[in-house]
Amino acid sequence: MSKPTGNSINDGLLKIASEKNIQTIWDRFHLQEPHCGFGTLGLCCKICNLGPCRIDPFGEGAQKGACGADADIIASRNLARNAAGGAACHSDHCRDLAVTLLELGRGKAKDYSIKDPAKLRKLAVEFGIKIENKNDLKIAEELGEAILKEFGQQEGELALIKRAPKKQVDTWRKLNVVPRGIDIEVVQAMSRTHIGCDSEYRHIIELAMKTSLADGWGGSMIATDLSDILFGSPQPVRAEVNLGVLKDDEVNVLVHGHEPTLSDIIVSASQDKEIIELAKKAGAKGINLSGICCTAAEVLMRHGIPMAGTFLQQELAIITGAVEAMVVDIQCVMPSLSEVAQSFHTKLISTSPKARFKGMEHIEFNEKDALLIAKKILKIAIENYKNRDRSKVNIPKEKMTLVAGFTMENIFYNLGGSFRKSYRPLNDAIISGRIRGVAGVVGCDNPKNQSGMCHADMVKHLIKNDVLVVQTGCSAGACAKAGLLTPESAFRFAGDGLKEICETVGIPPVLHTGSCVDNTRILTACCEMVKEGGIGNSIDELPVAGAAPEWMSEKAIAIGWYFVASGIFVVIGTPLRVLGSKTVADYICNDIEPVVGGKWAFEGDPIKAAELMIAHIDKKREALKLKPLMSNEAISYGAKRT
Amino acid sequence: MKKIYCDIKKCLGCGSCEIACAVEHSRSKTLDIAIKEELLPIKRRKAQFIDKGRAISTGCHHCEDAACVTACMSAAMYKDKKTGQTMHDADKCIGCWMCIMSCPFGALTRERQEKVIVKCDLCPDRDVLALPAGRPACVEACHTKALFLGTLEEFKVRT
Amino acid sequence: MRYAIIGSSAAGISAVEAIRSKDKEAAITVISDEKTPLYSRCLISYLLAGTIDKDKIWIRPDNFFKKNKVEAILGVRAEKIDTESKEVRLENREKIRFDRLLIATGSSPKLEDIPGKDKKRVFPLRTLGHAVEIQSVLDKVKSVAVLGGGLIGLRAAYALKSRGKDVSVFVRSPQILSQIIDKESAGIMQRHIEKKGIKIFTGRSAKEIKGKDSVEGLVLDNGSNIDCQLVVVGKGVSPNIETAKEAGIKTNWGIVVDQFLKTSDDNIFAAGDVSESYDIALEEKTINAIWPVACEQGRAAGLNMSGENQVYDGTLAMNSIEFFGLPVISIGITRPKKDIYKEIVRKNLDKNVYKKIVLRDNIIVGAVFVNAIEQIGVIGALIKNKVNIKDAEDIVLEDYFDYGKIVNIIKDSKGAFKQKEFTETIMTA
Repeated sequence: MSKPTGNSINDGLLKIASEKNIQTIWDRFHLQEPHCGFGTLGLCCKICNLGPCRIDPFGEGAQKGACGADADIIASRNLARNAAGGAACHSDHCRDLAVTLLELGRGKAKDYSIKDPAKLRKLAVEFGIKIENKNDLKIAEELGEAILKEFGQQEGELALIKRAPKKQVDTWRKLNVVPRGIDIEVVQAMSRTHIGCDSEYRHIIELAMKTSLADGWGGSMIATDLSDILFGSPQPVRAEVNLGVLKDDEVNVLVHGHEPTLSDIIVSASQDKEIIELAKKAGAKGINLSGICCTAAEVLMRHGIPMAGTFLQQELAIITGAVEAMVVDIQCVMPSLSEVAQSFHTKLISTSPKARFKGMEHIEFNEKDALLIAKKILKIAIENYKNRDRSKVNIPKEKMTLVAGFTMENIFYNLGGSFRKSYRPLNDAIISGRIRGVAGVVGCDNPKNQSGMCHADMVKHLIKNDVLVVQTGCSAGACAKAGLLTPESAFRFAGDGLKEICETVGIPPVLHTGSCVDNTRILTACCEMVKEGGIGNSIDELPVAGAAPEWMSEKAIAIGWYFVASGIFVVIGTPLRVLGSKTVADYICNDIEPVVGGKWAFEGDPIKAAELMIAHIDKKREALKLKPLMSNEAISYGAKRT
Repeated sequence: MKKIYCDIKKCLGCGSCEIACAVEHSRSKTLDIAIKEELLPIKRRKAQFIDKGRAISTGCHHCEDAACVTACMSAAMYKDKKTGQTMHDADKCIGCWMCIMSCPFGALTRERQEKVIVKCDLCPDRDVLALPAGRPACVEACHTKALFLGTLEEFKVRT
Repeated sequence: MRYAIIGSSAAGISAVEAIRSKDKEAAITVISDEKTPLYSRCLISYLLAGTIDKDKIWIRPDNFFKKNKVEAILGVRAEKIDTESKEVRLENREKIRFDRLLIATGSSPKLEDIPGKDKKRVFPLRTLGHAVEIQSVLDKVKSVAVLGGGLIGLRAAYALKSRGKDVSVFVRSPQILSQIIDKESAGIMQRHIEKKGIKIFTGRSAKEIKGKDSVEGLVLDNGSNIDCQLVVVGKGVSPNIETAKEAGIKTNWGIVVDQFLKTSDDNIFAAGDVSESYDIALEEKTINAIWPVACEQGRAAGLNMSGENQVYDGTLAMNSIEFFGLPVISIGITRPKKDIYKEIVRKNLDKNVYKKIVLRDNIIVGAVFVNAIEQIGVIGALIKNKVNIKDAEDIVLEDYFDYGKIVNIIKDSKGAFKQKEFTETIMTA
């Protein structure tokens, strides 16, 4: 019944699922096919109760909703609301981290500490806080307050907008899309798209951008910094990935979701002697903690905790029969998990006050009792070890090593070595033609597009053509499984120029920079590249491109929009749901480029999508009059086209 | 004969059948591309509102005693003796619209460029009457399984 | 059983097929004065226009008669019917014996009694022969005068305009298509046709056709002269009832038939343009000389001739015409003359859209739709099945009207809609 996923590990577990009549995402996905054409094209409007209204894309039937909204308005309004949904998610994630920082500063969250004081001080200064003669906790308190204030700020500009190059800021000011605060932009995205409000598609697209910028240069960007401050700035770390990381003789605990506030404490708790003793008493050799989705990325980046799987693998993890507990918080947690878990001993524990799931035990998390809660959860897992039915255990053999933990800051070290901490080597490598440019390949995995296989195909093609790839989230997970996130992959897959750089520095050609909020690391890296000079005076002039070949969440839409609005060319695998309006589709895929510097492209074939990115990078290189690529084998797509 | 039946109790009037039909009768057979084709594909099925909360998806009923066949003055419309299907030969059609005049279901549409009629052809590219598992695009697209391909007896058993 | 059928157009052919569906062996003789039957009479104007090739006008394959084991006597006129001896006498003196006879002799164009009508290049347009003849003289023709603004006249005008001729139409009545549609829809059609370059003169007729051997011009009833090299006469048709009348079969305007398509003689049936039968909308007997009626009646007559007892519900006037992309369809009564009728009209003249229904006691008895024609067949179903639409009166002309809107009507009518497909659709309603 299930469509082959092109991933042997999934196939084996899917076979078990099918034998046991356990529905997985692939089954449900097929039951949803064919997808409603109106929805796919963005032509279904459910905003008010005159409808739901639909526009006939073939021109015969209704061309306007009951209120008079045409395809342009409906498609753009839906898109803006999706962007607002994504921005809301990331920003709420940030809000929780800010609360943790504040509680820590106030001395109420004793299980936490400031792990990166330098970053704390740097961020505090950016928020206009005087740091002289203040201790970390005091600064933490003031910064926590300032950040929470920024959420509710009603006028002015976001603090971190200052990180952006002048040209970007000028463009945004001219368009009036500089976010004033964080919450206000999400609220306005909802209010302006209410029936009878904003009805000019360009103005609505600007709204989508403004809301998304509030995410990219606000919620997400602050969230990344706060996570580094609270849990430590990542350093390159070698780890393992794929469901083969589960252990036959240890208590397997999975952390799944997005926020690191609890999962990071679970990491500490799992190393607690008392807990390990308990596990041993229960007959296990120890506690084996691993992650799913972006929570995996958070604990992988900072602690080298293995990544058991991506979004698509969450159900399969349970089907291994070897998981004692899966701890979830928010975002991308499938409501189907409890049904899958019914066939196994796995305890599902929801922890966020923001999300409950039918059939899961809820142990509500709070900052004050973080360690206590973490231990309680681990004890439940240990207690459950005895219930593991060995006849049902099917831990796949497949696992892969990877190196993760790259950040905007430590790329300095890795490219320049400790004596030359600067982006100079990266910029020079681009200028000299060893590296063609940089591509961000990010986003979800999706059964709509070959279930994760697009990422690896795209990334291989990019690095073959000397494009350095930076990754986050499930996309990084998918490429890690394919073995692309190891220094050795440079020898197998990278073009000569990129290979040379990777070899010299000792980095993989594909850099894992974290979870989906950490996409902002890519933004700040772009800012650093501009600052370093020689490859463009603004982000839109850089030889860079972005892609989310298998995007599925609203967050991906917000991310895509803040990259586009920041001047970056973004290719996604399945189109945004706007194709029903040719006007809107043309605008965001073409005409918007002179306005904000970036634009969208929709291309389902990962190789063709990579070629679009390469062509774009070449176009930018040409505009910058950079040297031709050194590598003989690399094909110049720009030249090929002319 | 086998034809498409609609279970009014299940039809939500979502229009998925319409889109699937148009796409099936496009050149590309792909939604994204079909909406951009120079000659936009024409759907042969319509989800029609009956009254509050009720709808029917309807198209050619392949009537046994088909008024359109009787009315057709160029013999373009005819009954397939084997399948019972009401067939239309676009080459013979001269666009006189006599069939539109006669069809009690309003199931025929004008193709204005070529000046011919278009109607439900039970998706010839899918060979639905020959293949046991074959289903027309609209039936496949129907999210509530209100649309059904089969004989009247089979439809009765099912509902 | 021996069957004879006079006429080999829509009704005759349909009867052959109906008889053969019941009786595989009986002798069937078809007599036709046309040498090339099996073509669609309605298509000859399309042929003249050059819209279709001659190979497209055949509605049955060449071997139709052979395959159906029919003795076809073509190009020979049936002169006399002897009801006593059950014989048809042909113009070549041959006699055809029959047990059952179908008279499907159709109708002939009315040729106006106008001075000069015998000159060369004056034609009706009724048969394939006419079309071929007109085609053969076209290179000598620059301007055409069409006499009559009915269906045939306008189709001829349209065809000749398509052939690049300068066409003028003279219509005695104040509107075109006066037998088919009402004044307002006729006005819409007329303006559209005129915009495309055909000149239409309503309330105007020709007094004389001028010329030596061939047509050179017309004198109109207002005394003015116009030049033309071709005259097409399209003044309607009259049923070919003479042989029947002479044989003592009951005739009125046409040959009077009962609900089994039987004439006053038990062994003789009539169908098609020649038969005068019950009209569903008018509720009286009339002739509806249209293709679908000929097919229906031919089939019903054929079945009844071979022993079935099939009641023919009656005829309904119906016409569909399109000129230069603008279609108009009419069903039933479109120009009610008595005040027992009520009319409801919806129009959007900017878009050439016009919809009208005619009601009698809350039952729709007629409709005219211009341009937005797709759903008129659903109205046709309401007319045929004579349901009270009082509650639905205000929606039948709306843009959103379609079959879905009559599902409840069909359900509530408790069997008025006899066609089985109606029952099938409302099964789950």
